[in-house]
Amino acid sequence: MLNSFKQSKLQQFALLLVVFITLCWLVPKPDDYKYLVSAATSNTGSDNWLWRLPDLIAWLPLWLADGINYVMFDWITVDVYNEDLEENESISVVKEITRSLSWFVLFFIQTIREFLVGGLKTIVTFTSWDFINDNPWAKLPGLPWTVVTGAAILLGFNLGGRFLAILVGASLTYISLFGQWEPAMKTLSLVLVAASISVVFGLLLGIAAYRSKLVEAALSPVLGIAQTMPQFSYLVPMFVLFGLGDHAGALATIVFATPPMVRLTLLGLKSVPSEVVEAGLMSGCTRRQLMFGVMLPAARQNILVGVNQVIMQCLAMVVIASLIGATGIGDDLLKALNGLKLGKAFELGVCIVLMAITLDKLSLAWANKPIDYFADLSFSQRHRNKFILLAILAAGVLLALIGRYVFGDGINYFFIIDTNKGLTTESYLDAGIDWMVTSWFQPLEAFKAWVFVDVLEPVRSAFRGMPAIATFTLVMGVGYIIGGVRSALVVGAYLLFIALTAWWDRALTTAYFVAIALVIAGSLGALLGILCARSNRASKVALIMCDTLQTFPSFIYLIPAIMLFQVSNIAVLIAITPYAMIPALRYTIEGLRNVSPALQDAGSMSGVSRMQRLISIELPLAFPHIVLGINQTVMFALAMVIIGAMIGSTEDLGELILGSLSDAQGIGKGLILGLNVAFMGLIIDHLLNTWARERKEALGLA
Amino acid sequence: MAGEAGMTTKNQAKKQPVIKCKGIYKIFGEAVPSLIRENNGAIDVESFKQQGCIFGVNDASFEVYEGEMLVVMGLSGSGKSTLLRCISRLTDTTSGNILIDGEDLLAMNSKELIELRRNKMGMVFQSFALLPHKTVLENIAFPLQVKGMSTKESIERASAMIDLVSLSGRENYYPRQLSGGQQQRVGIARSLAVEPDIWFLDEPFSALDPLIRKEMQDEFLRLQGLLNKTILFVTHDFDEALRLADRIAIMKDGVIEQIDAPANIVLNPATEYVAKFTNEVPREKVLKCSDVMEKEDKNTKKMSSIKVPANAIIETVAEEVLNESKPVPVVDETGKTVGVLNRTSIIHVLFGKHEH
Amino acid sequence: MKLTKILASTTLAATLAFSAPAFAEDSSQPIKIPTHNWSSQIVMAHVIGGIFQSMGNNVEYVTADSQAVYEAIRNGDVTISHEVWQSTFGKSFYNAMEKGGVIDAGTHAATTLEEMGVPKHVIDNNLCPGLPNWEALKNCKDVFKTADSGGKGRWLEGPQSWHGDLMPVRVEALGLADDYTVTFAGGADALWAEIASAKKDNRGLIVFNWTPNFTDADGFVFIEFPEYKEGCRKADGGDGSCGSPKGWLKKAANYKFPKTHPAAYTAFSKISFTTKQIGQMAALVDIDKMTHKDAAKKWLADNEAVWKPFTQ
Repeated sequence: MLNSFKQSKLQQFALLLVVFITLCWLVPKPDDYKYLVSAATSNTGSDNWLWRLPDLIAWLPLWLADGINYVMFDWITVDVYNEDLEENESISVVKEITRSLSWFVLFFIQTIREFLVGGLKTIVTFTSWDFINDNPWAKLPGLPWTVVTGAAILLGFNLGGRFLAILVGASLTYISLFGQWEPAMKTLSLVLVAASISVVFGLLLGIAAYRSKLVEAALSPVLGIAQTMPQFSYLVPMFVLFGLGDHAGALATIVFATPPMVRLTLLGLKSVPSEVVEAGLMSGCTRRQLMFGVMLPAARQNILVGVNQVIMQCLAMVVIASLIGATGIGDDLLKALNGLKLGKAFELGVCIVLMAITLDKLSLAWANKPIDYFADLSFSQRHRNKFILLAILAAGVLLALIGRYVFGDGINYFFIIDTNKGLTTESYLDAGIDWMVTSWFQPLEAFKAWVFVDVLEPVRSAFRGMPAIATFTLVMGVGYIIGGVRSALVVGAYLLFIALTAWWDRALTTAYFVAIALVIAGSLGALLGILCARSNRASKVALIMCDTLQTFPSFIYLIPAIMLFQVSNIAVLIAITPYAMIPALRYTIEGLRNVSPALQDAGSMSGVSRMQRLISIELPLAFPHIVLGINQTVMFALAMVIIGAMIGSTEDLGELILGSLSDAQGIGKGLILGLNVAFMGLIIDHLLNTWARERKEALGLA
Repeated sequence: MAGEAGMTTKNQAKKQPVIKCKGIYKIFGEAVPSLIRENNGAIDVESFKQQGCIFGVNDASFEVYEGEMLVVMGLSGSGKSTLLRCISRLTDTTSGNILIDGEDLLAMNSKELIELRRNKMGMVFQSFALLPHKTVLENIAFPLQVKGMSTKESIERASAMIDLVSLSGRENYYPRQLSGGQQQRVGIARSLAVEPDIWFLDEPFSALDPLIRKEMQDEFLRLQGLLNKTILFVTHDFDEALRLADRIAIMKDGVIEQIDAPANIVLNPATEYVAKFTNEVPREKVLKCSDVMEKEDKNTKKMSSIKVPANAIIETVAEEVLNESKPVPVVDETGKTVGVLNRTSIIHVLFGKHEH
Repeated sequence: MKLTKILASTTLAATLAFSAPAFAEDSSQPIKIPTHNWSSQIVMAHVIGGIFQSMGNNVEYVTADSQAVYEAIRNGDVTISHEVWQSTFGKSFYNAMEKGGVIDAGTHAATTLEEMGVPKHVIDNNLCPGLPNWEALKNCKDVFKTADSGGKGRWLEGPQSWHGDLMPVRVEALGLADDYTVTFAGGADALWAEIASAKKDNRGLIVFNWTPNFTDADGFVFIEFPEYKEGCRKADGGDGSCGSPKGWLKKAANYKFPKTHPAAYTAFSKISFTTKQIGQMAALVDIDKMTHKDAAKKWLADNEAVWKPFTQ
């Protein structure tokens, strides 16, 4: 009896559930307890520790804010004579250091930017503002869009042939004709710098982690937190440390984009076959030659996926980075949304997706480009590209000059089409949304009432009504069943941190959003994935859809969601679901399509029907991979909860993180709130990963 | 155990061995360093094993002379690849001495080791271990470029290697575009590019189809005939060992069971374990005339008019000898008669059980 | 950085030698003007930038959060702020001033109001007779209820970080708690989306808004609550049953600004726009669909008589 209980996890889970429900029943909400959703920050509404733990670390955010501010501005100061003020002023050394870093990053962004669209900062850097004042001619003129587009097409053609050339050309022409050239190039300059730094940084950290177990162990939790922490929560620290502007946006982007690069570099290095390493050693490689000549190239596939992820992450951050001063498309998009110009915002979103696809494909093609040592090229062949480039430049500039006469004082279509002066489909898009609101709003009323009253409200009450003791029992119990004492302690520690901050009630509300989104997005994604995995073409289309949805700024569909569902939890969930569905869909397709053909054939030969084969062979084998997709769905849902807070009415952690953005002391609050969200993510991550790993080993897939 | 036994007839004795191993141990297990410290550097096999240590290589001693090919044969887990990795210092040796051309390999610092590998050693791997991002040409030129040779020179040199392994026309192919046999030709060319004195081959043909394997073995023998390297060759295929080796070392559980010339192993297996392999061996394909010839009987006047070379494999001369009623003289390279072959001795080889 | 400084000082020395200024000249370092996320503010940023440029100054526009900007001014990352709304930003502004580094650079002529109200169609179609007087609310909670408001009418307030519990307290104090509940929106976008949706659907909506704002153009009616009196709010000891006061619209600057750019600072402190002028600026963008830059250019060209005097 006892033995079979030890064997059967199902029985263990059942017992855990019984204990959990009993605890919930034994410790009801104290009558005088009010859920802390109002402006008050303290959670000490109850003396009953079984119901809610005391907020022992409620002081942490303020302490952190004071600490950072002290280090930044008062820690080490020197008095410096200021010529402009004609008096001594005290300068913080730490601030000077971080601002120098900012200046450095900004310099690169600006230089690339000004070559693309013109400007005078680069020249100022090497001279001074006075020089510019005295020499008004001294500014970079910027390249005509035709030149940049032509060069990009040439690049695309050389790297990936005709198809890529057409893709690149069409994307850039769209951006230009729709009058988004300047913001797009501003964004491009930021993304190029942020992505390069992320890639280099990620590579170095990945190498360091590969070489030293200690570094790997230290890096692992940092990466976990950086990946699960909502980007919003480190915007304020970025702004305090580095000041407002493109550099701060770039640095926040780097924090967000580097972790996958580190992980994939490490994974790639670890999976280099040992014989290849030995071959390198036996060739007499030094440590450096071995790393850069053998291992990194041999790990190329994984590293390329890393580069690809970095680019995607950078573009996913475009809008968020504009909250701390990054200019370009993201900034324009936020401003368009603020003026409720949905059509414009949509077009800008399309531009971001086009940029993502273009950069993604170019980088992949570049990485796969072989070198031909034997091609015996003539002088003209070897320098053909340079000639073409020169020709494009000359033609583009000439065209721009002609444009000056043709278009007179109007917009020079051959130079740069001014922002928002190009083609537009705004009116159609706006009309579409009008139609949607006027014809769908009323019919949806009954549905909304039902969902809210009969589904959402009960679930939310259930989540909030959990006594702390029951939550701890449930989470740690699941940890114990899945991964033993160690797992129980790990998840328990994460949970304890959240419980001791002042925001337990809000964390429960966040958990409620994630749980509902998980059910909807997980089942929809898995179902759609199963259907799409049937056919090659459908799989391809679905994966492209995933890429598109992932880079299309989620901010845009917040507004239609509000128009249809008002400021309500339903709108929040509607906004979360499409995004959270991406990984569930992607991993299901990958998992099913990677089931070995031999096993599928074996199934077919034993005479199973298609349905039976799916249920009894493919799904069980793909399941561990699908679970990883579910894990990612949780992460995506957590990321979106914060964006969902932009709709409102959430009363969760996201709302406070959003609020901390507008709070000068929000640096500590934002970070601790962000940690709360990150820890929730890490709990799920730990449980699902442990479980999936065990299953994969059991199935012999690891 | 056959330590110093069974020297081949090749040039040795006067010269110092190219590789000299004495008492090599490779022991796996977390407790190893502390155990050795406790025992003052001595290794007590039984007590170590009781502590959960696993012996990859257990007290291996042997020498390899210039131009000689030693084949290390053993089944998987026998420690043969570990032994090879100890001698190439790809893995750290727990205890023992390894001298390469008289120099202490284990005492070398990393700089000396790199120099040694760059100039004296070449290695071929079971899974080819080609760099996936480099073309055939670049792969072969890689060890040269690592040494600091200019691109132009290294490419020229690599082109010559490509001709040597008959891969002309595929210079710009990537490894993934080649068949297994072709990939291993690249691996061989790469290992030879720096003109090493010592050539390590770790199951180079195991991953290939039987037909291709045979072809590659022939190719390998052709190359060795041309280059005359000092070779340490690891295989799990006894037939391959017999075919290629000057001497064979047979390993089991980290221990070298017997080390000797192929014929001696076939004729005089030292242990039960070795005998298991030799029983199945078609001896006519292994033994040479010199291995089974009898002393020339001065009284016999009636010698056959045909002559067989001393180093000919029995199989190749069996039919001739069997058709001849008189004893057939066996001659060495100079044409001097060194012995005779009778029908009976051939019949013994072909059908006799191990009479020795 | 060092290089720039050295170069800057040498060129400065050179210019000083050749031009003999009558009074201290403005530094050539750019004046950093923040842009937030509403149109009147962005257009005004470009208008003020244009005024500075006409005086020979260099300017730079920095995108910044409207609350965080005061901290940025203190640190010198941003030079000025030209729209400090009393009720929304007053606290951040005074906090920053207290810590030092920010100075008060005068007040605009325009007054501001931030209050709950209804889109114009609610009044036009008489969805709730008696509005804008607040007492009318007592009889039409059904007009304002939503699927998730639990049968009550809903007040859609801005994010809680804007005014905390001001509105829930007011609902309670006015005795409307049985009929109305307050929902906090996540941001301004959500407010505009709700207004647009309600208008398209001819639906009732009570929503937080302010003036001057781009919604003025479409028509927006603020509810007339009991008049604000000193101390009527709960935080000040009252019961909270009063409406919002008319507020000032101030300008702020970094403390070094008057010394580094004396002429520009003098002009900036003189700048004073009226509600109508701010409305014009916003309308150029929101109604005439111009870009912010073009709108500022047009406004400057059309209103030279207004802004020229600031520079003298």
